Amino acid sequence: MAPRIQRLDHHTMEKYENIWFGIAVVMSVLLAVAVFASFLSGTIPRIEDEGGGGHHLEGVKNGRINSRNFAGTPFATPGLVDNKDGTYSAFVVARAFAFDPPVLKVPAGKPVTFYLTSADVLHGYYVEKTNVNATVVPGQVASFTTTFRSPGPLNIVCDEYCGVGHHNMLNKIIVEAPQP
Amino acid sequence: MTTSPVHTPDLPRPAPALAPGDFRARTIPAIQDAAYLASLKKVTQYYVVTAFLALFIGVLIGPLQAFNYAGINVYDNPILKALLKSYYQGLSLHGVLNALVFTQFFISGWLLYLPTRDMGAKINMKFAWGTYIMMTAGLLMAAVPLLLNKATLLYTFYPPMEGHWLFYVGATIMVAASLLVALQVIVTWIGWKKANPGKVTPLVTFMTVCTWMMWLVAALGLVGEALFVLIPWVFGLRPGVDPLIAKTLFWWTGHAIVYFWLLPAYISWYAFLPKQAGGRIVSEPLARLTFVMFLLNSTPVGIHHQYADPNISNVWKLIHMFLTFLVAIPSLLTAFSIAGALEDAARARGGRGAVGWIFKLPWGDPSVTGQILAMISFIGGGAGGIITASYAFSPVIHNTAWIPGHFHITVGTAVTLSFMAISFWLVPHLTGKRLAAPKLALSSVWLWFAGMMFFAVGMHWEGLLGIPRRALISATALPIYKEGSMHSQIPMALTGISGVILLVGGLMYFYVLFATLLSPRVDDGEVTTPLPYSDVISPAGSDLTRASTLVRTTEPLLALWVVALALVLLMYGPVVLRLIANASLVPGCDFFSVGAGGCR
Repeated sequence: MAPRIQRLDHHTMEKYENIWFGIAVVMSVLLAVAVFASFLSGTIPRIEDEGGGGHHLEGVKNGRINSRNFAGTPFATPGLVDNKDGTYSAFVVARAFAFDPPVLKVPAGKPVTFYLTSADVLHGYYVEKTNVNATVVPGQVASFTTTFRSPGPLNIVCDEYCGVGHHNMLNKIIVEAPQP
Repeated sequence: MTTSPVHTPDLPRPAPALAPGDFRARTIPAIQDAAYLASLKKVTQYYVVTAFLALFIGVLIGPLQAFNYAGINVYDNPILKALLKSYYQGLSLHGVLNALVFTQFFISGWLLYLPTRDMGAKINMKFAWGTYIMMTAGLLMAAVPLLLNKATLLYTFYPPMEGHWLFYVGATIMVAASLLVALQVIVTWIGWKKANPGKVTPLVTFMTVCTWMMWLVAALGLVGEALFVLIPWVFGLRPGVDPLIAKTLFWWTGHAIVYFWLLPAYISWYAFLPKQAGGRIVSEPLARLTFVMFLLNSTPVGIHHQYADPNISNVWKLIHMFLTFLVAIPSLLTAFSIAGALEDAARARGGRGAVGWIFKLPWGDPSVTGQILAMISFIGGGAGGIITASYAFSPVIHNTAWIPGHFHITVGTAVTLSFMAISFWLVPHLTGKRLAAPKLALSSVWLWFAGMMFFAVGMHWEGLLGIPRRALISATALPIYKEGSMHSQIPMALTGISGVILLVGGLMYFYVLFATLLSPRVDDGEVTTPLPYSDVISPAGSDLTRASTLVRTTEPLLALWVVALALVLLMYGPVVLRLIANASLVPGCDFFSVGAGGCR
């Protein structure tokens, strides 16, 4: 006797459909909750909006800056600034095809607030082996705060296409051990 | 409280009444006018063949990119140098031709033909041909600066990197033409609704109209970027450009466009693949719900591409992230439905066991196999997409090799391999020619799938190591990727191998396609290769008043379209208005031309 073919029927499918639909919704919501929790706990160096994007800096308004002229702004002399309260500010200017300063020295274990801007096109500020990853936009200041824990050199990679020399836009952060 | 018998909302509705015919495959209205049908098929064929010609060139450039990510720079080869000035020009062509031109041309043909046949409509062929000519003219205009290294902007063309004006104008004309296809289909559907009051829109037409409506909402961002930001800027009517406004408008369209690519493949998976595999559509009402969810939810998600951007509120970034997660739901529903339809097919063919049925699918059929492999790749692609969209994980992989790894198993396989597999029956259907070398066709889809799996593993891996995307990493002044502490040898080898496999698979596919197209017409495609409409396990029925709640709720597509538009304005309006209020204009720059390097 030939085996009877058991075909799927409407009612069974509908039951599984509903279960599957429920799982999908719960999963999506749980994912969002998990990310929201990690956002609140500060594990991600969040990129500030115009309220925090260096609005207190000279020559910067609502996180915007004149990309043609950095005179009078902290970006005229890029580099690390010791705020004398245990925190640091790092000012970085991106230009095709290098970051200024080419080597940024930062102390380990101290919060550093970065302020990035571009003098020409879009660039990306990606620090290897970390979750520091910000778009550097001409006319805008990108700002975030992060703490580098272990001393040593880290590559900075431009990860936004900026022209024929894009792949050579590589610089360094040197995380220095605290002075004994 | 009234007890009028006319309004009895508390009483249960009678169970949806379905006729026995509703469970059987749709019989499309016959088109008597042979000349009209021939013209309709011809314009579809032109769209499809133009699409695959673009893919052909794009695919030939692909291995050059793969070799770069294997640490091998081939762009210094003098013969290649005569054709392509830089890696970045090659990448621009690869991206524009494959992701923008191939998809749009194929979809414009596919989603013009299907609803027209499904409704048995008589569309204005002059308009249809005019749209095709306009789209092709736009393509040719944009192609000139691309080929001359005057628009080496990659397919995101972020300002203030500035290309030749012809690129922007050509691309705008090309995209505008797709909106005209959308309008023609929607207007035809409105005509059908008027002629068929109280009837349920047939499934294929429903899914197509949904897709085009979604595209009209999604395209607003790109249209706005082109007309109000880029074109006035390249013609010098504005003192500069705000790169952030441009980028935000780009991603308004730029993420939803992936659903514009994906949904036409879903239409085949839902409506035709069950028949091709020997099974039935699981549920028409569920398919409708899926498409409506895409119509509403596809567009207000684009800011998840901008987590790394400054001066966009984190609240909006998180809202868009949540909405992005929600778009996973209709895709998960699709996974369920299609797996159900395939299981139904395999069991009808004698398949048994919890997983043993899989082996009973018609694996000898290149069209079925290609589409199933496309789906399998999308399991990884979809899961990776959710990871990529998460604000927490994004900073680790944003703009790394992970991203091209991700989209080559979504658009590069789920979509492209589906379209390739569809062409195995669509081209014979349209032309009356027989598929040349079916065995080679079968091998080509397996190789494409295998190549993309190698590529995806290699590139995701390289991305996790911190290797950036879109960079000539094989020729950096500092050897940080190939040497040092990265240990990138294995993923680089996988990526290099993938380039070879994909080139072989691609050439086999194009041999089959061109050999089919160049063979003589042997029969009537209507008879030998009809549109593969499928039987249905849970149909929607044809009478609207007696249809289920889900069918009745999803039927008013025009109203749902307005809701989709309102939703996107709500989710993008505040962000865009704030950017405009704080606009910061910068001059255009050229860092890609030979010997160039500077801003205006």
